Amino acid sequence: MSVVLTVQDLKKTYGKLTALQGVSFEVHAGEVFALIGPNGAGKTTTLRIAATLLTASSGSIRFLEYDLRKEPDKVRERISYLPEEAGVYKNMKGMQYLRFMADFYAATPAQEKEYVDRAVAITELGDRLKDKVGTYSKGMTRKILLARALMTKPVLAILDEPTSGLDVLNALDVRAMIRRYAKEGTAVLLSSHNMLEIEYLSDRLALVDKGLILDAGTPGELKDKHKAANLEEVFRSSLR
Amino acid sequence: MKKFTNLLKKEIRELLTAQLLVSLLFMMALFYFIGDVTKREVAKASGTQTVAVLDFDDSEASRGILKGMEAERFAVQSMAGKTKEQAIQASKDGDAKVLLVIPKGFGQSLTDFQVREIETYSFMRNFSMVGSRTSAILKGVLTAMNNVISDRFLKAKIPESNPDSIKNPIKSRDYVVVKDKMAEGSAVQIAQLLSSQTIFIPVILMMIIIYSSQMVITTVAMEKQNKTLETLLTVPIRRTSIITAKMLAAGLVGLLSAGIYMLGFRSFTGGMTSGLEASSGMTAAMRQLGLSFSTSGYVFLGISLFFAILCALAISMILGVLAEDFRSAQSLIMPVVLIVMIPYFISLFADLNSLSLPVKILVMAIPFSHPFLAVQNLYLQNYGAILAGIGYEVVVFAVLVLIAARIFSSDKILTMKLHWGKKRAKATTV
Repeated sequence: MSVVLTVQDLKKTYGKLTALQGVSFEVHAGEVFALIGPNGAGKTTTLRIAATLLTASSGSIRFLEYDLRKEPDKVRERISYLPEEAGVYKNMKGMQYLRFMADFYAATPAQEKEYVDRAVAITELGDRLKDKVGTYSKGMTRKILLARALMTKPVLAILDEPTSGLDVLNALDVRAMIRRYAKEGTAVLLSSHNMLEIEYLSDRLALVDKGLILDAGTPGELKDKHKAANLEEVFRSSLR
Repeated sequence: MKKFTNLLKKEIRELLTAQLLVSLLFMMALFYFIGDVTKREVAKASGTQTVAVLDFDDSEASRGILKGMEAERFAVQSMAGKTKEQAIQASKDGDAKVLLVIPKGFGQSLTDFQVREIETYSFMRNFSMVGSRTSAILKGVLTAMNNVISDRFLKAKIPESNPDSIKNPIKSRDYVVVKDKMAEGSAVQIAQLLSSQTIFIPVILMMIIIYSSQMVITTVAMEKQNKTLETLLTVPIRRTSIITAKMLAAGLVGLLSAGIYMLGFRSFTGGMTSGLEASSGMTAAMRQLGLSFSTSGYVFLGISLFFAILCALAISMILGVLAEDFRSAQSLIMPVVLIVMIPYFISLFADLNSLSLPVKILVMAIPFSHPFLAVQNLYLQNYGAILAGIGYEVVVFAVLVLIAARIFSSDKILTMKLHWGKKRAKATTV
């Protein structure tokens, strides 16, 4: 599998606060790579740097052949980012929002239609897409945001806590969707502190704490290495 | 361009809500209504005034004076046959604003060249600006009476004379000079007319600048509050396009809002100043003096205003980044409002060009001062000063846009915040 994202010795400081102390990993096409760890571990900072929102203090990060620091505009055309606490323009109707977002990526009207149709299918919201987004439940809003992130079939989808705040059924739908798109070739970089979710969802993962990667590998490899029954035990073991 | 248009349309849609339009139209209707009522009241006040008269003298002289008053826009309401108390009561119940009580022997005193007092009663029925014109009416009544009396006297003594020439033997022929132009007219009247015609310009300038700033600061703050900013910053559109789309949308909606407000405000103040009609002679004098805007004058003013708006938008864009939500954005707009207020008030009450040097430097350093200054400079044909002002605005705008673009292209767009008296949170999502 080809490498989509290469992160090497990434460091990030906010004034006196050090968020990342030297993070390195790779994400391959068609795989789900997860960053797991407690709140404040550095997951969101890593994702924000990968999404071109923040710039690293040092280290390097490349997406395909592009250096994120030098060519962020090129990168943005081929990635998508779903923040943990993302919102939608409440005065827009669901369909209007999807068209608005598709317009940034599509080169032709036919391509725009293709993106919107795909997003409509992902949301499964049917006629509710004719309503204003302000009237949607949290689950519906998260689904439309996920649809926005996946509708262009990006080379890399960066998803921060994609099932955050969702009920069990909606969370299952979202996980299935992510797996399906990864199977179709999209590389997924996601973060979560729900380790059971990651165990089901990810192909490979990195355990992050205090801005450092403690360990990385497939869920199976890590469980074997730490002689643990699940990822929560792996995490506890790697902290020691 | 397609992406920019897409974003611009979204920004305009976000700002131009149904609530905003309804509130603007309501304000306009309200202003129009108040203006219409005021206009009618002013017309009533400047029309024929009813004056009640209790003439105890009833001499040929007093009757003649009253007849003379009728010729000068007063409707004389006779209270003949009443006592003074009855006349006061009747006037109070009626619509007369003034009651004159002419004492017995008034005519004889005039013949004897004795000063004689008449009693006047003014009825104040309300304390509004229009309602307080009673004293002006009274003054008019007395002037009219004195004129009639003195004219009659002079006519009787020197039949072939013109009483006005005797009373005012010296008359002036007034000329006003503005730079190298001269015209016949009164400086006071020209200044009053000019002020009545241009009083709207500073108000318009101030409202447009404040409205546009408010719009742009709101649009940035709302992106933060609604958590849409992060997504927007990762879509494939240049950060400068995001800034430009937001500024342009805010500028257009601000312009529209200010325009609607001004239409309403104009009909409101139009009612207040409906008595101030320009005489054709004065208008001609103003034209002769070059005290009217030509097309190029309006173009210069427009360019100066345009760059002042852009400066305000760029400042607001930077302030918007500091805001955490809509509420804090409303507080952050205050510095812009205060800075606009300085040249606004100075232009209303003083001559910006004749201020002391330190104050002048301070005022000139404010980019919003230049459209206000341009109005005065246009009348004086100081095109060099106008162009210098525009040049300064362009430089300030370029610097501000560079700062805004740097902020939007860096981490600061997400990390820069003002903490109003709050301690910085130790644990943030990292």
